[in-house]
Amino acid sequence: MITRRTLGRVAAALLASAALPALAQDRPAPFDNPGEVEIALVRYLSTGDFFQAYLAGVQRQADALGVSLRVFDSRQDAAVQADMVDQAIALGVDGIIIQHGLTESMREAAQRALDAGIPVVAFDVDVENEQIPQIEQSDRDLARLVLEQAVEDNGEEWVAAYVYVPGIAPLDRRNEVWVEFKERYPGIQEVAQFGTLDNPIANSVANQARAVLSANPNVQVVFAPYNEFARGVKIAVDEAGMSDRVSIYSADISTADIGAMREPGSAWKATAATNPAVVGEVSVRALAMLMAGEDPGRQVIVPPSLITQAQLNEENISSMEELSARIPAFAHADVAAPDWMPLPSAPQD
Amino acid sequence: MTGAAIRIEGLTKAFGPNRVLRGIDLDLPAGAVTVLMGANGAGKSTLVKVLCGVHRADGGRVLLEGRPFAPASPAEALRAGVVTVHQAIDEGVVPDLDVASNLLLDRIADGSVGVASARRLRAAARPLAEAVGLAADLGAPVRDLPLADRQLVAIARAMAHRPRLLILDEPTSSLSEAEARRLFGLIDRLRAQGVALLYISHRMGDIRRLADRVVAMRDGVIAGLFEERPLDTAGALRAMLGRDLGEAELEPAAGGRPVLEARGLVLRPGARPFDLVAREGEVIAVTGLVGAGKGTLAGVLFGTERPAGGDLRLDGAPFAPASPAEAVGRGVFLVPRDRRRNALVPDWDIGRNLTLPFLHRHAAGPFLRPRSETALGRRMVEEMGVVCQGVRDGIGTLSGGNQQKVVVGRWLAEPCRLLVLDEPFQGVDIRARRDIGARLRETAAARATLVLVSEVDEAAEIADRILVMAGHTIVAEHVNRALDLGAVMREAAEAAA
Amino acid sequence: MTARDFAIRYGFLLLLLGMVGLFGWLQPGFLTVPSAVFILQSVAITGILALGVTCTLVVGGFDLSIGAVATSALMLAAYVMVVWEMGALAAVGLCLLMGAGVGLVNGLLIVKMRVPDLLATLGMMFVLIGLQRIPTEGNSIATGMALPGGGVAQGTFSPAFLALGRYRLWDVVPLSVVFLLLVAVLVWVFLELTRHGRLMYAIGSNAQAAALAGTNVGAYRIGAYVISGTLAALGGILLAARLGRGDVASGNNLLLDSVAAALIGFAVLGASRPNAFGTAVGALFVGILLQGLTMLNAPYYTQDFVKGAVLVVALVFTFALTGRGARARA
Repeated sequence: MITRRTLGRVAAALLASAALPALAQDRPAPFDNPGEVEIALVRYLSTGDFFQAYLAGVQRQADALGVSLRVFDSRQDAAVQADMVDQAIALGVDGIIIQHGLTESMREAAQRALDAGIPVVAFDVDVENEQIPQIEQSDRDLARLVLEQAVEDNGEEWVAAYVYVPGIAPLDRRNEVWVEFKERYPGIQEVAQFGTLDNPIANSVANQARAVLSANPNVQVVFAPYNEFARGVKIAVDEAGMSDRVSIYSADISTADIGAMREPGSAWKATAATNPAVVGEVSVRALAMLMAGEDPGRQVIVPPSLITQAQLNEENISSMEELSARIPAFAHADVAAPDWMPLPSAPQD
Repeated sequence: MTGAAIRIEGLTKAFGPNRVLRGIDLDLPAGAVTVLMGANGAGKSTLVKVLCGVHRADGGRVLLEGRPFAPASPAEALRAGVVTVHQAIDEGVVPDLDVASNLLLDRIADGSVGVASARRLRAAARPLAEAVGLAADLGAPVRDLPLADRQLVAIARAMAHRPRLLILDEPTSSLSEAEARRLFGLIDRLRAQGVALLYISHRMGDIRRLADRVVAMRDGVIAGLFEERPLDTAGALRAMLGRDLGEAELEPAAGGRPVLEARGLVLRPGARPFDLVAREGEVIAVTGLVGAGKGTLAGVLFGTERPAGGDLRLDGAPFAPASPAEAVGRGVFLVPRDRRRNALVPDWDIGRNLTLPFLHRHAAGPFLRPRSETALGRRMVEEMGVVCQGVRDGIGTLSGGNQQKVVVGRWLAEPCRLLVLDEPFQGVDIRARRDIGARLRETAAARATLVLVSEVDEAAEIADRILVMAGHTIVAEHVNRALDLGAVMREAAEAAA
Repeated sequence: MTARDFAIRYGFLLLLLGMVGLFGWLQPGFLTVPSAVFILQSVAITGILALGVTCTLVVGGFDLSIGAVATSALMLAAYVMVVWEMGALAAVGLCLLMGAGVGLVNGLLIVKMRVPDLLATLGMMFVLIGLQRIPTEGNSIATGMALPGGGVAQGTFSPAFLALGRYRLWDVVPLSVVFLLLVAVLVWVFLELTRHGRLMYAIGSNAQAAALAGTNVGAYRIGAYVISGTLAALGGILLAARLGRGDVASGNNLLLDSVAAALIGFAVLGASRPNAFGTAVGALFVGILLQGLTMLNAPYYTQDFVKGAVLVVALVFTFALTGRGARARA
């Protein structure tokens, strides 16, 4: 998904810097001379569609700024991730994005970077530091949007099953909203809660969901606030032949999910998502503002969009690219975008 | 002799309904070698295991220097000064550790030797190795040592304990003459130091050389005690078996047409070439010390080793097997030495162990025919005289002699041109040895038979011709009639020197 | 037969029956045909993998790569159909070939290069986890995905392929269950009733003795890994048919669950050795437990706990009870 487009964009950026030197010089330092600027992305999680798209967004915005990007991948090893921050410091990068990780291991590492005079932003990890802006895709907004849709579709009284694994920060935040919703709508009756992260997650969740559905054939709505969960629930609903009786509401989205939602008679009714590529772009922009001496704010929240089955069918959307192209709110976020900031153009594949 | 170091009174032990020890009364005096004889199943091993803490007795008691002694574990027995060198060598060593660590293992285990460098360990172990004449590299893993050296390691390890009672369970069964002589020297020294020794063996040579007293066991009781000199070994044998054994009568056969012909065979580079002809109907024993090259000869004939030179023919056709499968295909079978390691499938019953090499005979296409297997199993159990309840008995429930009958019987199930047996009497009691020998001679007519043994007695019991091997070549040949075994033995030893 | 012999032989099967009874009593929906069919479906994939690993356990080996082989087959099937736009037959054929090939390489590494089995298959596991991501740069495969070389994948999962995971005989029995039963019977027949199976057990118990009885030990050991790889690929095909997309996954949970099933199988009928019937029962055991516990709303970590506890109990059955019984006679 990256190479050719990336190459093309690098070429475009090179062309841009050659042909339009005046433009770059209008920007605040150090972006008046972007060729000398290097930023680092230090990742904790990297496998999966979401993280691939996130990386693509980071790359895209870095290209738009004309800065070079160095990616460190700790592959879910907290200690290695901390070491990688130190490596980045030693390499003298000009800014660091920390993507996920554990508070305990990242807090000191992030502080060391600040001590070395390197600006830091953090995505989806709380490093407990006032000087480090937090990039967040608002999980609370995500859950709220899709649950409101569920209430709109099904009324205020239904029997629900809920997929949740505690201890995962975004899922925990989504869970808070679910708890509030159940209080607000006493007619929502949760009869089962399940969930697992055994991979392939969809397969393991499908096995669980089958058991839950046969134990509770009266379930009307399954709230599965993570697309891997929703995928598994959909397999189980199909296998149990309950597609016409059960509706699935989820969060996050990918090309494959769009296909699943658009299958004829699909139980997967709606999802809410922040475009991970946009989150990636925002991460770089927030960092760039810090590097230019501006304040992006303590929290930089990327607003999510609601995506319904009906909408996908109407617009005949079958991939993430088409989703970005046809739902503008999904393609761009007006966050951390001062006037001087060059914005990447929407991908045209 | 300085009185009883160990006194055993009314000792009993049963496994389920099987009463293995039925009231043993026995004194083991300090400074004397007591030889314990008994056919397999007489209860020798169980008695030893009670003394060394593996089993607990059901009744009776043991006094060690006047104090009650009932070890709950081998470690406790060891601390009390009762040391055992087991028959199964790998019970006495840790194959993956090096020699030095093995020698010091008990001291490492009890903490008196802490973590030390390899060099310091080796330095501490060296005297222990020298005491038993162990010349192996102290840094080598025990796994890589030949059988004889592994045994010496186990013995050396036992010696490190300054034992009050040293139990040796068939210690010479895998030692060469020279190594055995070294061991006997050690035993003499220990006897002089006042250690009580309990020595279990089937070998008359050992018994004559070492014994101060002979105790015969039969069916879980002491069947006879012989202390007066000269020791009445024939009487002990009688007491042990409950009958007269009689000398094996043997009329050497000349043999028919040649089956195996070796011309100018060189077993390894530098060895003198030799010729060997094995004829149909003839049983040839090849004897020689451990390391004389008997094992190499077996390997060459069975396709696991290549000769350095020479010409081999089987029934007149060139014979150079590249694998055991090829050798078997040509009708050359091998009963390997060290049955636990090379022959037995320990998880299996008797029947399955019997059918292993010729499984395709009991299969239609890929599918096994259980009835055919059982029929063969029953036939071989009957023919070999395996003492068991039935072919479904686990192989591990059999005594060593009966296990060996199964291993030999496995290869007698199909006709062959040449049957090679490498040390087939190792760890086999005398009665089972006679049974196996008789069966081999009964079936010998249609093939040539080659028996490789280090004991000249064993060779004389079975063979028509005896070849003496030394330095990987054949140095002498005798027809087995009115043979002076002592002279043959000297021949083997001198040629090796 | 003493009480202990009885416990060793039938203890685990009784435990299984008792568990079924308990869940049926606690949860009325448990003792129904759909529930039974579903349990079989949920264990079909791990069961097939477990039967493969059983073959390697029989020859005294071990195959850590099965989970990765399964997820590689999942990715390969998706790639063949979605990117290359080929049909179901090609996808199935290539996946099985890939599995057999991986098994062959494992076997050659172990037998010819003398790499210890755990290390060889561990290495292969990492190779495959990485390799399956290279063509798509770590992305999952689904229709409409953007390709690294440009363009959009136009192919779809063929309906015939999806039927492998979704079609039901007589509207009741999913095809994956049929495959599981078929593979279980085939492996059982192979290991218990053919001379090849017998020789593989001989190799596992005493390889040296088997070799000196004229058995081609190397060929049989390689064969065991080929069987294991092929069955793992079959599991991956069924996984792909169920998911309908090429999900990026390490397959470690598949590996752990199937190894657990095979090890639990040691305890069934007091076998104390790897065996196909035991493995199938072991897989079923885990499936029933998870189904029952999920129906009762037990959270996922209690399920892991229970799975582990069952495994430990099974290992105690195998090693402590039967082992001591055999040793007491010496």
